[in-house]
Parts: sequence; structure tokens; C-alpha cells
Amino acid sequence: MSGKAGRVGKLALAVLLATTVAGAQGTRPAEPAKPGTPRGVQLPKATVIELKNGARLILAEKRDVPLVSFSAWLRGGALGAPQGKEGLAWLTGELLLKGAGKRDARQFAEAVDGAGAELNVTAMREALLVDGQFLARDTALMVELLSDVLMRPRFEPGEFDKMRDRRVSELAAAKDGDPRGLMGLYFLAFHFAGHPYGRPVIGSETSLSTLTREDVQSYAKAQLGGDRLILSVVGDFDVKQLASRLEAALGGWTRAEAPAPVAPPTSVANGRRVLLVDKPDATQTYFWFGNTGIARNDPDRVDVTLANTLLGGRFTSLLNTELRVKTGLSYGANSTVLRETQPGVVSISSYTKTESTGRALDLALEVLTRYRREGMDDAALASTKAFVLGQFPNSLETSAQIAMKLSELAFYGLDAKDVDGFASDVMGASRERIRQVTQRVMPAPEHLTLVLIGKASAIRDVARRYGPVTEMKLSDKSFSPAPAPKR
Amino acid sequence: MHRQQWLIVGLALLAGSVAGAQGRPGAGIEARTLKNGLKVIVWPDQDIPNVALFNFFRVGSRNERPGITGLSHFFEHMMFNGAKKYGPGQFDAVMEAAGGSNNATTSEDATIYMDWFPSSALETIFDLEGDRLAHLSFDPKIIESERGVVYSERRSSVDNDNMGALMEQVQATAFVAHPYQVPVIGWPSDIESWRMEDLQRFFQTYYAPNNATLVVVGAVTPAEVFALAEKHLGPLRSQPSPEPVRTKEPEQQGEKRVRVRRMAQAPLLQVAYHGVDAKDPDLPALELLLNILADGDSSRLHRRLVEEERVAIRASSVFNTTFDPSLVWFMVDLPPGGDVERAEKVLGEELEKVRAQGVTDAELRKAKNLTVANFWRGLETNSRRAQLLGTYEVFHGDWRKLFEAPARYEQVTREQLRKVAGRILEPARRTVGVLSPMEEALAPAGKEAGR
Repeated sequence: MSGKAGRVGKLALAVLLATTVAGAQGTRPAEPAKPGTPRGVQLPKATVIELKNGARLILAEKRDVPLVSFSAWLRGGALGAPQGKEGLAWLTGELLLKGAGKRDARQFAEAVDGAGAELNVTAMREALLVDGQFLARDTALMVELLSDVLMRPRFEPGEFDKMRDRRVSELAAAKDGDPRGLMGLYFLAFHFAGHPYGRPVIGSETSLSTLTREDVQSYAKAQLGGDRLILSVVGDFDVKQLASRLEAALGGWTRAEAPAPVAPPTSVANGRRVLLVDKPDATQTYFWFGNTGIARNDPDRVDVTLANTLLGGRFTSLLNTELRVKTGLSYGANSTVLRETQPGVVSISSYTKTESTGRALDLALEVLTRYRREGMDDAALASTKAFVLGQFPNSLETSAQIAMKLSELAFYGLDAKDVDGFASDVMGASRERIRQVTQRVMPAPEHLTLVLIGKASAIRDVARRYGPVTEMKLSDKSFSPAPAPKR
Repeated sequence: MHRQQWLIVGLALLAGSVAGAQGRPGAGIEARTLKNGLKVIVWPDQDIPNVALFNFFRVGSRNERPGITGLSHFFEHMMFNGAKKYGPGQFDAVMEAAGGSNNATTSEDATIYMDWFPSSALETIFDLEGDRLAHLSFDPKIIESERGVVYSERRSSVDNDNMGALMEQVQATAFVAHPYQVPVIGWPSDIESWRMEDLQRFFQTYYAPNNATLVVVGAVTPAEVFALAEKHLGPLRSQPSPEPVRTKEPEQQGEKRVRVRRMAQAPLLQVAYHGVDAKDPDLPALELLLNILADGDSSRLHRRLVEEERVAIRASSVFNTTFDPSLVWFMVDLPPGGDVERAEKVLGEELEKVRAQGVTDAELRKAKNLTVANFWRGLETNSRRAQLLGTYEVFHGDWRKLFEAPARYEQVTREQLRKVAGRILEPARRTVGVLSPMEEALAPAGKEAGR
């Protein structure tokens, strides 16, 4: 299939999953609104239960289809892995599914697939995410498998060896795919070098090769436990019955042995730096540039969402209009705000044929510079508000989306106001406030981290125009240049 | 929830899973065909205050020939580039200012236009859709610019993506006669050279109301949708039916092989067999068979190739519902330095095994359970419901068949799976594609044409 606006690959998704993407917010049916006012959406009333071991359960019924979705967040994630052991949380997560409780890897897979269910583990930057969906008739099985995964993983030696080797191969093979899927890894590693946010969540070929089964066991002991768990379940079930099932299953889970890791502050980088990743057969150059932006709980986050939507968060955004619609330089250009406990990156990305690399980069920089200077006019503000409001309900339509949102809010210490008050916050935004927030959050053109993947022999001189260049090869077995730059 | 209660239709597999709270799926759907031949299907649902509108056109790369390959997909892009009331850029600008977003997708068989918007934007959306279908403009400058966009898309999905590059070659090799040999994105020289007349003829022939199916799902009433469709799309003039695609792929005479050499970390293996079309009675059995072979960590191919023999890092299959028999793909991703011959041998053994011995009861039960779960997953969002209704209407001839699907799959027997495995997975009718890594990039034979 080919289409108007495409998707990127699995690895890119992994990078984005590891953080919260501003603008990707959530919904629920709200009370009918008066004509002319936007209809917001509200989170369902949820039952919250704190277990003695510190686990938090958040349960909400949603009975339109006979499905049950859950989203378990375990505080720690990649942040809980020691330096040099990048990918340990990811590998541990994969191994949680390779045998747990009374089932070995094969039996476990049979149990999940046999019920037509989904059960996944994804390491994120600051949490390990275990999520899935079962038919309502299989809720008891869901609780059994989930508690086995969390509390009774087997970590069998044979499974460890296989999985580690496969992950190393997958990382290498990913370099044969669409480079859009890799950009975020290189960008974060280069931009946040020396900070835990720069360590690749999925690891590198180098780091994964050094991991041992003992590393996995130590990680699990230190970072998995009842006190780390926020579990939201949404769907077709009876809250009371499910609550007692979950309490029985998870109440006995011990605490994690280590204190939960806390990310040190991030900061805005000064000056410009360029990383050029050589892909000798590339016919197209892929680029990201940006700097450090805002944290998940930033008080101006709704204004930032609006500001980013106009810059690069929709089809008629300033970036896509210039790089795609007006010039045909690229299939797409956009901007992204990644928000975590600490400020993550604000980045602008696009790609173009090798020969037009400089032209596309100049144009993207020009768009950013002009936007910071001029902000948005009244018509753009009205359009952006309408767009953000109009799309918001689609992000909280399913039980899985709502479960994810409930857990995510609890994880970052936020409450339902983030969703329920979203529409009125959007309505209340003003040009002046957005102008201020744009100045503060959107990267200043003189302070930028730039990453280019492309044919180095053809674009090396172009790259030098944007700042001092560090070079590495796509085939290098790490996502950062060696030796890792320290800042 | 505004859905009605329903009586469980005697599906053993659903009993016990369907609580009384669910309404009968699909209750409230209404369909109507306008005088000009446009079929409109409406599924009202007030769960969220939003709407998904999908417009299916029966045109894709299947309707192309040398010289205009990729034109269906290019046309999909051009549909966003201006009409009479709403000029260049206005379609997207007006839709987004009304709170809507859109996308579109082209396959071998169909081109689908998708809008997602708050119900307050319903009339605006119909106005936009009506304008572009009645009065699309063809500005030579915009056509040139859009060629660049499509070329960029091709660079990402084929030129800089080894899996896409190999698939293109396998598909082109597997068919000798049928236009399914044409890549949807188009061959580079055709992207360079299709002309204004090609576009205009294409629009008139294929973008006629009688070649389309419109599906609207969400916070609407059928009456208001029918009225808006009549007002904005009713004036479109129907056209003579497009020429049917008459070519049938002749039976393959023996295994075919294609090798692609590229810079790569790891080799790829793809094996494609000729499958069935949407109307084929064996379709449910084939889909269940492919679930058992390649869906999930418990699937046969994952177990054998990835876990037991460790010759692959991923094993999957791809098969789409299509108007004419299309390919059943098995994709085997190897580790760097992986042994392609061995991977191919092990894959061949597994496929021969299922042809000879069929599947177990437990495997068939598993595949049916997955089908039931996927049925409900498909009903979770307005967007997925619109996609499914349209797919059933366009490819299976009736949207109602969506709701018969669980029963249809439930009836399939082990014997049917064994038979369909024997029929489809015939070694003499496969095409084997291998991507072999090279250290250095091949010197380009010529400059990338002009762009």
C-alpha cells in the first residue's frame, strides 16, 4: 500500500513509546454540548485501589465490545539499567514473555495466542510497560498470565541466549529498513550524550552483546516489584469481581529491592553540533534537528501542543506546507515534542533526495526562525484550536487507549483534569501565551543538535554549513559516535 | 451508549463472552444507493462525538499498464491539490480548520479516502468531497511538484528499504500476465513521465459515483448523511463502467527465483505463492491456515525457524483480500550472515508438512479464537468499522457479510485447511526471492531519472 501520509517502522514506534508525545492525548463520551461549543471528552469514572505492597489498580468498565484491555506501568524502565548495560530493561521485558509461572516459553505463547489475546512488554525510558487485550470471557486467564509475567518470570538460560542473539541481529537488520525508524535513536544518543535519556532504550549491538542472564536477574530483583506497579484495566468486566481477583493475584508481590530511579535534570544544549551518519547507498538524506523542550507535567503543555501542531503536527503545518506542498522536496516534514519526567526533545524532521539536502535543511530552519519571530495569527490560532479539539476524541476511543491514559496520568502524578479540562484549556489559549511558549520551548536556530543519515561523500560539505560535524557509519555497532562525546 | 439490546444469534463461540450490555453489532446501519450509482452506508454510533468517513474507489495499480504504472497512487495525491470552490491547499486547510484530518491509501485494487472529524464538521466535509469529485483541477505546476513528493515516498519505501525493494521484485516476477505485477508506487520512469491526459482520462473513468462506495460511521444519523450525500454528491454524473480487468494469470509452470543484490546487514528471504480472490470459498480456510502458520509466537513458522532452528529473526506472512487471486507471502528475515539456503529448506519442510498432515484441532481452535477476538477489535473504533464495512461491501459484495464473519470462520474444518494447503502451497507455483548483502553499493546504472 502507498498513501498520502505514511507510517514509520517498529523501531521508531519503540522510540516514541519510550516517551509521551505531546498532542497524542486521549477521550470518552461527554455530555451533549450546546451547539457551537466543542464537545470535549471525559475519562470514565475509575475505581482506584491501593494494595498493601504499594501497587495501584485503576479499574473502569467499558462495555461496548466484549474485550478487556490493561496497561501496567512499572516505574524504572531503561532508567533502572546501569550505564553500559543499555538494552537491559528491553531484554528483560522480552524475556518476561519467554516462560513464567507453570508455563515455559512455548506454553506461554500457546496460552496467549490460544485465547486470541494480545500481551506485550515494552521497555520505555522510565517505565516497563506490560499491556494487552483479552476477550472478556478470558479475564481470569488474563489475570493469571499477567501476574505470572510480573511475579514469576523464569528467565531460563536457553531462552536468554536466544533472545539476546536475536535482539543483536534485529538491531543490525533494522539498518536495512527505512531510516526514519532509526533517526530518533541517533538523535537522542547524540543530543543527550552523558545523560540517561541518551542511552538507547533498545540497546545497541555493542551493549547487548555484553549482557548476561545474571544482569537480567539482577535487574528484575532491583526494578520489578509491587511498589512499582500502576495497573489500569478498562473494558467489559465487573469492577468488584476483577478487583478481588487482582488483589488476590498481585497483593503478595514483594517490593523491588532498589529505590526507583530518578532521572537527573536535562538542559538546553548551547551552540550547534552535527552528527553525520554515513549510509553509502542512500539516495535520500534523513534529518532531525532540535533541542531540549519540556517535561510531561509542564504547566504550559497545552499551549505547547498548539504551538507544535501549527509548526509541524498536522498536514497543513508550516513545515509540511513548505517542504512538501509548496516545493515537493519531501514526502513529509514534521515536528515532535517528547515529554518525560524531565524535559525531552523538541525536534523537527524530514527527508529529501541527496542533492537537495541543503535546500531542505535551509528551508526547515527558515520556517522555524520565522515561526519563532512571528508566531501565529488569529486565523491560524483558531484553526489550530479547532483541529486539536476535533481530533482529541479519537485518541480515547478504545479501552486500550483509555487504560493507557489512566496509567500514564498516574505515572506522572497527573489527574483526570489533564483530559477532562483539555478542551477548556485549548479554548482559553491566546496568541500571546503561545508566542511566549514558542520562544521558550521551540529551539533557537543558533542552538541546535542536528543529525543526518545519508550518503556522507555527497553531503559532507553541506553538513559542515550547520556546525561542527562528527561522523559515524550506519554500520557501526552503536548509536553514538565513538568515543562518546561528553558534555 | 445508544446501542440497542440484541438477541445472541446462535454462535456457540460468542456465547458466554457477550454480556447483555452489548447491542447487536451493526444495529442501526442503513444503506442507500443514489440515482447516480453511489452507494452510501451509514453506521450511527454516539460513543464519541466524532465521525469517520471512508470513500472507496474501485481503482488501483490493477487498472494500470506500462507507461502509467503508479498513476492510481499519484492520482490519490492529486485529489488533495485543489478543485473549483476550494483551490490548491484549501482541501486540507479547510478540513483541519473544521477540526478534521484525513489520509488516503492506494493498493492494487482500491483507493480509499479517509476523513476523521467532529460531527460539527459533517456538512463541511461533504462540501469538500463534493467539490473535488465534481471539479478536480489539473494544474501542470502542481503535478510537477507532486511528482517530487511521490518520488520521495518511493525512495523511502523501496529504494532505502530492503524489504520493500525485494517485495517489488518478487511481485513483478511472480506474475507474467496479470497487472498485479505492477508496484503500487509505480516504476520510476513512469513516475517521471505520465501526462496530463492520462490523469484526466483516469479521473473521468474511475472517479465516477457508480465506481465508489461511501461509508460514514459515528455521531451522525443516517437521514442527515443521506441528505448531505444527495445534496453534495448527488449531482455527480455516473459514467460507463470502467473496462473490466480481463487478464487472468495463467498457471505457473514451475518455480521462479529472483535475486536482489544490495548493501545490507542481513539477507532476506521471501516466498510467494498464488493465492485466492475475495470471492473464493476457500478464503476463510486459507486465512485460518496462515494464522496457524505465521501469527504469533506459538505459530509453526516462528517456533521452527526462529525458536528451534534459529535460522531467522522473524517469520511472517502477508495476504490481502483482493479482486483477483493475489500472492500469499512468507517473509523470513535472517540474522546478519544467516544461511538463506537453510532457511528456505526449513520453511519448505514446514509448508510441506502442513500440506501432508494438516493442522491439529487445538491449532484450528486457536485460529478461530483469534478470528473472534479480531472481529471485536475491528468494531472498537469508528475508523476500523468504516474500513471493515467498506471492505466487505467492495470485496465481498455486501457489508452485511461482516457480521456473518464469525460464523463463517467457525464452520471451517481441518479437512478444508488441509485441502487449501494442498491447493495453494504447491512448490511448482512459488516465486522465491532472496536479498543478498553486498559490502559496497552497486554503482548506479544511470542518474536517478531527472529528479
